[in-house]
Amino acid sequence: MEFEELQQIWDSQNNRPLYAINEEALHKRIESKKNQVRHITNISELLLIIVNIGSGSLILGMNFSGQIFMYLLAAWMFVTALYVLISRIKRIKGNNRFDRSMRGDLTQAISVATYQVRLSQLMRWNIIPIGTLILLGVWDGGKSVWVAVGLVVFFAIAYLAGGWEHSIYKSKKRELEILQDKLEKEN
Amino acid sequence: MTEKEQQHIFETWLGQYKALIFKIVRAYAYTSMDQDDLFQEIIIQVWHSIPAFRKESSVITWLYRVSLNTAIKWTRKERKHYQDETLDNVQHILQESKSIDERLTWLYEEIYKLDEIDRSITLLLLDGFSYKEMSAILGITESNVGVKINRVKKLLITKSKKYDYHGI
Repeated sequence: MEFEELQQIWDSQNNRPLYAINEEALHKRIESKKNQVRHITNISELLLIIVNIGSGSLILGMNFSGQIFMYLLAAWMFVTALYVLISRIKRIKGNNRFDRSMRGDLTQAISVATYQVRLSQLMRWNIIPIGTLILLGVWDGGKSVWVAVGLVVFFAIAYLAGGWEHSIYKSKKRELEILQDKLEKEN
Repeated sequence: MTEKEQQHIFETWLGQYKALIFKIVRAYAYTSMDQDDLFQEIIIQVWHSIPAFRKESSVITWLYRVSLNTAIKWTRKERKHYQDETLDNVQHILQESKSIDERLTWLYEEIYKLDEIDRSITLLLLDGFSYKEMSAILGITESNVGVKINRVKKLLITKSKKYDYHGI
């Protein structure tokens, strides 16, 4: 064959598409993405509830008599755990409003991803009041300035790591939205 | 650019130039699993590229640049699924059309055997891009493009003669 013939063979595909989109496979892929997002969200919520209740209880159990900031810190942690618990219940109840179609599954996956993005942002901001209360507690308890410096560094790292985690969730959400756009264009 | 505008552009591009992405997917990914992966990777990168599109080149040139760069990076980084046999139960999102000319399938197989840059050159050549456009898309000099085109053309013509000889 000469190159012109190869060119003609190549041009023949312009009249018929090389691929077709398999709707059933796409639905399965979406379902798997939805389950993945739900699983990550479940784990995040449970960890936040356990860690906040556990830390709050530990602070109360350590008997910081007269150190008001430590009691405030414990109370703040219980409130955080309660907030996450209520959000979780609302989220699970809200799952019923999505139908079991491909679009329904995708909308649900995006809704859970949006929730996860918001939760991770709130928990990142939550480092600020928790860090402040701990530092005030350290100051109130008359601890060394180096303990306070160490804690500031620790919270700064936690805040940065929280930002990194948040960007991962945002990117996952973005991918789902792109998939939704693609699906809308296909039909 | 608002998100709504970005979405509108994305939908238009995907509707009009889907075939272009299919060609690149077929040339860079061999198994169905890889084709699914690469297709998704390219459309995600196309979405992210929209705000950076300054209309200095045509949409087709832009899409080729984004898609080829994605495919080349994907070829270097991703773990490939060499055997579809172990993934019998997996249904693939992209299903190859059954009515494709078998000579076209052969041509894609030959393109797949080339190195990453030669694959890009071949796709751009067959889709009618000029040396200058290829040079801009791939970031190599025009003379280098010329050398590579001559080599690829010779190779494909030689292989096509063997293909003809075997009477397929």
